[in-house]
Amino acid sequence: MVNESGQIYTIEGVAAGILMIVTAYLAMSTTTVITQQDVHIIDMQLEQLGNDALAMMDTPDSYGNESKLVQAVGTNNTTLFRNQFLIYVNSTTGARLENMGYNATIYYRNSTYAIDSFTFDASPLPYYRENAVKVSRWVYLPDFINVNYTTHPDLRDDTQTVLLEVLLWRQ
Amino acid sequence: MNDQAQWIVMLGFIISIILVFLALIVNQSALVGKTTAEGVLEFPKAQIQDMRAEIMEYYWNGTINDAGLKNDLGRLFLEKKGAIIYYNLTASGNIFLHYNDGTTDYYETIEV
Repeated sequence: MVNESGQIYTIEGVAAGILMIVTAYLAMSTTTVITQQDVHIIDMQLEQLGNDALAMMDTPDSYGNESKLVQAVGTNNTTLFRNQFLIYVNSTTGARLENMGYNATIYYRNSTYAIDSFTFDASPLPYYRENAVKVSRWVYLPDFINVNYTTHPDLRDDTQTVLLEVLLWRQ
Repeated sequence: MNDQAQWIVMLGFIISIILVFLALIVNQSALVGKTTAEGVLEFPKAQIQDMRAEIMEYYWNGTINDAGLKNDLGRLFLEKKGAIIYYNLTASGNIFLHYNDGTTDYYETIEV
């Protein structure tokens, strides 16, 4: 039996239902979910940390002195590099330290001006497919620093710039 | 047909439609914020700061016109970073530098 009273209520009910569903859908799809593609945001924090550590090491303690990084790279002092770098990247608030793995490579132009590289220093545990980032720093080696690498004799001993590239990951 | 209470029904519709539009705006804001933040993060900030620090080092050591250093930095940049760089000391004594990695084209004149 067809009755035409209350039609507006029926229309209103249907319209309100559709509106509620659409609004709920929009609100739900607003929520941000960290997916696999968003991991690079975490990588960028690690990258910033590594870049900052290298920048700090490349800053001299006082005017006219050489920075720790120039000293370490220029005189093949891997112990100095390791100690300083690990203090910076492993520092946290409080006593608990992070445990970072790294592999530092030096890229340079050799005595025939071709680009060459060698591993400067690496953490004892090798890299095994952890989520790693690459940070780098240009190191200026002035003429008065006596660059003397017995293992890499083709590293020039004149004023030059080498690239220190560090692969950094959380162990 | 019952035509009572039409004002209330109409207001109900209007408010519902306004709510849908507000939800749309909220929905877009998260997306817009994310893409903007990613755009900021993808800018090669560290590369440019590092290059700038290195060139300032040349300047303070008086080796800014050294051809060997220009080649070291330029060749290694091209090979390892995939970027073209250029720097020189201008006639007015400032430092001009240029960085281009295909996405970011950056020019700067440092007043010294």
